[in-house]
Amino acid sequence: MANNAEDIENNMDQQQTNTAPEPPQEASVARARSRGGSGAGGGGGGGGDAGGNSSGPEQNGQPPAARPPLVVETEEDEDEEQTLKYGAKHVIMLFVPVTLCMVVVVATIKSVSFYTQKDGQRLIYTPFPEDTDTVAERALNSILNATIMITVIIVMTLVLVLLYKYRCYKVIQGWLFLSSLLLLFFFSYIYLKEVFKTYNVAMDYFTLAIIIWNFGVVGMMCIHWKGPLRLQQAYLIMISALMALVFIKYLPEWTAWLILAVISVYDLLAVLCPKGPLRILVETAQERNEPIFPALIYSSTMVWLVNMADTDGPKRNSTEAASPQQETQQAPIASPTPSSPSQDDGGFTSNWISNQEHQLGPIQSTEETRREIQQMPSARPPPEDDDEERGVKLGLGDFIFYSMLVGKASATASGDWNTTLACFVAILIVSCLFWCHVRVFESPQKPISSQYATPLYVNRLIV
Amino acid sequence: MNLERLPNEEKLSLCRKYYLGGFAFLPFLWLVNIVWFFREAFVKPDYTEQLQIKTYVKRSALGLLLWIVVLTTWITIFQHYRAEWGEVGDYLSFTIPLGTP
Repeated sequence: MANNAEDIENNMDQQQTNTAPEPPQEASVARARSRGGSGAGGGGGGGGDAGGNSSGPEQNGQPPAARPPLVVETEEDEDEEQTLKYGAKHVIMLFVPVTLCMVVVVATIKSVSFYTQKDGQRLIYTPFPEDTDTVAERALNSILNATIMITVIIVMTLVLVLLYKYRCYKVIQGWLFLSSLLLLFFFSYIYLKEVFKTYNVAMDYFTLAIIIWNFGVVGMMCIHWKGPLRLQQAYLIMISALMALVFIKYLPEWTAWLILAVISVYDLLAVLCPKGPLRILVETAQERNEPIFPALIYSSTMVWLVNMADTDGPKRNSTEAASPQQETQQAPIASPTPSSPSQDDGGFTSNWISNQEHQLGPIQSTEETRREIQQMPSARPPPEDDDEERGVKLGLGDFIFYSMLVGKASATASGDWNTTLACFVAILIVSCLFWCHVRVFESPQKPISSQYATPLYVNRLIV
Repeated sequence: MNLERLPNEEKLSLCRKYYLGGFAFLPFLWLVNIVWFFREAFVKPDYTEQLQIKTYVKRSALGLLLWIVVLTTWITIFQHYRAEWGEVGDYLSFTIPLGTP
């Protein structure tokens, strides 16, 4: 692997300016990986602090002004390099919140016994009990449970896609609003109750009401409206953790593992197949140049599109991450910015699939437009901290998915920490590979979503 | 939401909304307001709206302090006298710790 990286790096150093998509991408990915390795040390500590690591874009954003045509070509290469160079770093930036979520879930599982107690209660989606006499019965019941659950998820996804296709936005927004309301108030109420019980702390209704009210309202504001980015991220992590805890508690063992397995497969299918509902959703959103749903994606930084310059092709006009305010701030290039619904705040306006091609889209335009800005005589200084602009998005379903895996592992395993840690490491490796893999093989024309737990969003909506 | 990229009027409007929202029994909102706008109000070089943002931040701080005092007092009283209040204490309690105090 290291040898390959070096060889490919040598090739790149010979400055092949061919614009064939595959080799530069692979090289860049390899380079990205090696850089990612060095970035891991910095990135791990810095978390979402994207500004620190590389000053690449500033350097690359200022090409030699003397030769425009050549500049365009090398710019494209640099574009690809840039976007992919950021791939690994951003993947690492996503490690932190995912890890945090898992830590919260595992800590709760270990300390608050409520979430591992089997009350005998089940969700209505999993009506078949698993405490049966024979293994065969148990297997059958769990398969039936999983089937029911998956069917519900598929139906919900289809409903969502249909609603979106027929522009029933109000319904969807109301649905999302209610679901986050439920999570932020009801589930956190239960969580607090159990935590207080565990630590044997007396609490009165008045203080509790104040706490829950504050937590909930500020959460709703941060997620659905405007709020500080860190707080938004923190809230998303918390609600993902809450959701994962609910699933861990109420899904019986075998059902849970079966569901996790089937969901991964289903998600890949739903997203990659041309007829898959999620793909339809994404494509519809792209056609309409609209952001999809707020409150279902975690964004590591703000994605600020400088402009959707109309010099770029229509492909790159995925303007979803642009919000009107941002554009008014930075608009030297006259390109009509498509209107996005005003309630979409910057971190969430983009589509709800996780990072890749939607990042490629905006990133290429930012590169372009930034270059143009810099070439134009303009009193406004070029944006300094563009590193922070290219946030990475990960769907909340992924958070819930991973945390559920790790939580289940820690709850049920007898060799406690070993299993949990092994699970955790495995998840990070797999997801990292998955994200990097998708980066290599996609091209800007064909949006491939790497979201592989989007049905869990729907799940979230169901609950 | 990156404050850096917002024009000043919008920053002011946001600050004001957070300030007003805090009156709905939301000291946490005031806290968020203070932390978020602190740099804007006190560290940044002057701009037109900064004075107003400063007032909002200061008032939020005042309100937060008030809430902290009230809550701390109430919690202290409650924790201390809960057992002695008998029925009323239990009625007020959300969780009751086990074991003898």
